[in-house]
Amino acid sequence: MIWFLTIVLPLLAAVITPFIPAGRRGSGLVFVAATLPALWLGLVEVSGVSAQWFLLGSYFSLDTPRRIILLLTVILWATAGLFADSYLKDDARRGEFAFYFGVTMAGNFGLLISAEVTAFYTFFALMTFASYGLVIHSRTPDARRAARIYLVMAIIGELFLITALYLAVQSAGSFLLADIPPALAEASNGRFIFLLGLIGFGVKVGAIPLYFWLPLAHPAAPAPASAVLSGAMIKAGLVGWMHLAPVGLVEWPSISLLMVSLGFAAALGAAIYGLTQVDPKTNLAYSSISQMGVMTVFLGIGLYGGIPAALLLPAIALYAFNHGTAKALLFMGTALPAKVGGSWRILMWVGLGLGVLAIAGGPLTGGLWTKYLVKTFLGETSLPGAQTFLLLLTLSAVTTTLLLSRFLHLLSRIKAPSGNVAPAFLLPWILLLLAGGWWTMSPALLPVELLNHILGEKGILAFFLNMLTNWGALWPITIGVVIMAFTLQVTSLNWWPTKNPLLPPGDFIHIILLVGDRVAKLFRKGISLLESGMKSLHSPEKIFYRISDSKRTSQISASAESLLRRWEFVGIGFFIFFLTLFLFLR
Amino acid sequence: METTSFLPVLILISSLVPGLMILLLREEQVALRTSLNLFGAVAKVGLVAWAFVGYVRGEAYDFIFSLAPDLTFALRLDKLGLLFAALSSVLWLITTLYAIGYLEKGPHQNRFFAFFSLCVTASTGIALSGNVITFFIFYEFLTLSTYPLVVHKGTDEAVAAGRTYLWYTIGGGTVLFLGVVGLYVVAGPIYFGQTEIIAGLISEFPTQLTILFFLILAGLGVKAAIFPLHGWLPISMVAPAPVSALLHAVAVVKAGAFGIVRLVYDVFGVGVAEEMNYLAVLAVFAAFTIIYGSVRALYQNDFKKRLAFSTVSQISYIALGVAIPGALSSTGAIVHLVHQGIMKITMFFAAGNVAETYGYKKISELNGIGRRMPLTMGAFTIAVFGMIGLPPVAGFISKWYLGLGAVEAGSYWVILVLLASSAMNAAYFLPIVYRAWFCEPEHEVVPRLRSGRFETQVLLLIPVVVTAILSLAAGVFAAVAGSPLSIARDIAEKLYLL
Repeated sequence: MIWFLTIVLPLLAAVITPFIPAGRRGSGLVFVAATLPALWLGLVEVSGVSAQWFLLGSYFSLDTPRRIILLLTVILWATAGLFADSYLKDDARRGEFAFYFGVTMAGNFGLLISAEVTAFYTFFALMTFASYGLVIHSRTPDARRAARIYLVMAIIGELFLITALYLAVQSAGSFLLADIPPALAEASNGRFIFLLGLIGFGVKVGAIPLYFWLPLAHPAAPAPASAVLSGAMIKAGLVGWMHLAPVGLVEWPSISLLMVSLGFAAALGAAIYGLTQVDPKTNLAYSSISQMGVMTVFLGIGLYGGIPAALLLPAIALYAFNHGTAKALLFMGTALPAKVGGSWRILMWVGLGLGVLAIAGGPLTGGLWTKYLVKTFLGETSLPGAQTFLLLLTLSAVTTTLLLSRFLHLLSRIKAPSGNVAPAFLLPWILLLLAGGWWTMSPALLPVELLNHILGEKGILAFFLNMLTNWGALWPITIGVVIMAFTLQVTSLNWWPTKNPLLPPGDFIHIILLVGDRVAKLFRKGISLLESGMKSLHSPEKIFYRISDSKRTSQISASAESLLRRWEFVGIGFFIFFLTLFLFLR
Repeated sequence: METTSFLPVLILISSLVPGLMILLLREEQVALRTSLNLFGAVAKVGLVAWAFVGYVRGEAYDFIFSLAPDLTFALRLDKLGLLFAALSSVLWLITTLYAIGYLEKGPHQNRFFAFFSLCVTASTGIALSGNVITFFIFYEFLTLSTYPLVVHKGTDEAVAAGRTYLWYTIGGGTVLFLGVVGLYVVAGPIYFGQTEIIAGLISEFPTQLTILFFLILAGLGVKAAIFPLHGWLPISMVAPAPVSALLHAVAVVKAGAFGIVRLVYDVFGVGVAEEMNYLAVLAVFAAFTIIYGSVRALYQNDFKKRLAFSTVSQISYIALGVAIPGALSSTGAIVHLVHQGIMKITMFFAAGNVAETYGYKKISELNGIGRRMPLTMGAFTIAVFGMIGLPPVAGFISKWYLGLGAVEAGSYWVILVLLASSAMNAAYFLPIVYRAWFCEPEHEVVPRLRSGRFETQVLLLIPVVVTAILSLAAGVFAAVAGSPLSIARDIAEKLYLL
């Protein structure tokens, strides 16, 4: 029952909340209530169920990595629901927003608890298409453009995905997601199938080279929607990858190296490109691409072989958890500086600072711990060049710090209101800060064997309070902050853009659009040429009319008719006809 | 073979008799006409349901009437026929309701409803035919009974469209006649399911049978709108919305597709058809039609015309599924008979509602219509997602089986065709959805042409909501026993002896 409620309650909430009259609040509480079954599933282990009546016969269950991500998802949707309630209180389209918000939530929960291909695909599609309504919410030309690019990319992703699923189901001979990785490990075309899935889910993850919709779409949505887009929904793609990847069962060096290098390219490249932006939300979107790059690396390590899935996947999920909560905190935080004033601002800056530290892997945060997980696995893998990768990882901490301190700087330029004021949506934001903070500091979510594997004899507390690890995490961040502060202070070095971004957000989509436009123009020209050619030809039925309507044909047919009436002609004709038929069919 | 039951005849009579009686009524006898219509429609659904239950229990329903020695009129219920009969009877009931609301006080209603009933009699006749000759009789009957519906409006455009329709269908009928007679000469009377007859003759008469197969296929292809025989379909769009809805969902187009299914599965047999490479030819034509219809649909601004070209494309999914050997793709083809019907009828109802309520016939006029007609456009949106093949709507189930079937048969190019078609479906349907929900209307206040408590007249609204719910339910509950999928799977598995 609880499995179905997890999906049905958000759908119900989507239908009910638009009817809450304007100016009234309460949608937030409805959405929080709708997340409760999912929260229960995240906290308490419930045995899976089968739903033979649903689609082609479905199963719902959870494993450790997906439970961690489900918890993340629940926390984000609940706080974002509360946040949106007061944030969009006076918005004319708050009803529509609530509808798409609820449906997207149902899709997001559903895909996490599905253990079978068609259900997973259903909820994945539901989430993807419903979130279109969140992206386009403001109806500005920019939002429409972002939404269009998002939709086109989403459909391309779906097409790759469905192909991958057709092939995967065929080679697994089963609809269960759990049967797919072993089947791919065995199948001769396993790598091809995985690559298709890599592309299909890669669109959602924002992997290179499929990410360019993301810096446009994520910032276009209202702050709470951006938070769930960048914090929770982006992880759906990661979950998809984890469903397909035969971690620990195969040695696919080429794919592994591909993922690791694409991941590092994203981790460093997106962070640097993001520095050229002036919109804090675009800045954060690039940071998401960069962080998803690290998770791509993480999964890529697993495909090199030698690391069991039971250890690696929960570790990736915990990384996602840490990034998701912190990123949602920052995204919702972009709405605060213009509304929060007086002593509340101290709280705001502390929260934002903690969020930045958590993503950059700063001391005493969840980021420290999750970065350490990546380092451990990079140290253990036999992947060639692992030492270089470790260095790159440290470097990415520096670029991430640069990017996010730039983000803080952008926020600090927003004019604060006078007086000791705090909007109602500060409360859900603080709730998120607490929830995110507590969980990221507590790797208790991880299975015991993983903890033992990472920590050995010493306990988790000893790890967190270890001077050496904390110091090791601090210096890249210090470097980043110092560079940022230095360039901001020294006028000759302060080349940071203030009004317009140095380079356009969405980077190479502009090149694609330019080329696409040219090709489309050529294509249209060809079509119009073809059409004018077609028009000069008669369509078949017109030729018929020409025959039936012209006088000559009627004369000919009349004389033919009189000829036919002569019996000898009819007799001979029929004789010949039947003779041929007989000879032919004999 | 002997007559064991008159139930098949009763099923036919339930719409034939009301149709003939309506012809005798006076135009102003509205109440009597409506009750006759509804009585017939409800009775037909009831009878088909009864037959279904009986069939599942193992009873045989055969009705044989000898026209001449060796030439019999045979009605017979098998699962495939029952599935098609169920589809036509249920959608007929819904469309009758819609048509009553749609025509309201229009002229020539007796003529309309009489031929409407005859048309459904013909299509159930096609469903229940037990042999090739009977099938042919009803097939031609269908051509003639739909003509008055196509030209119903009586405008020049409608008459011209009717003429084109006749050119194509009579032409197709002639070719089919040649094929059917030829088949009778070569193989004698063939009851559906007796594939062993052709299998025994194929080595003796390979050329003749091949010619006959393609003659029959061409005859059926006209109604199934397979390229290059599809020209009549987009032009027949001038017909009133309930007619278009029925034409595209069950009656004409579906009769052609159903005929192709019968021809391959129950006359020639899959084995022969595959061995003789008939299926490969059919697959190429079907695949081309799918792409061609989608490309043409992209360029239409007329709402109903875009839907019509989409039908051209979607119907060929059935032919394509038939053309790929294997139980999975057969399941996809057979289930798409039903799924395409309920989804497309939803779309035509929606288009009709918009045109009747606000007079909008062009897609460019649809900005913001979603806020004015949320239920209609909501239903339309569900159907759109189904057509694209997104779960959990019915269309996903069809495409899923077609795709799996293609992989199973190793025909990977079919996957590319399906993907291209999905992408193009999205490209020509989603702009409508986008305009309806995400664009601001050009004028704030627009006069309504139809009154009613809800967004439009109740009788126009109920059918579209019901068919949308059916489309959704056929997908969500696909695994439940009794769903179209479960029946299609049974038929396909029996066919391939799994």
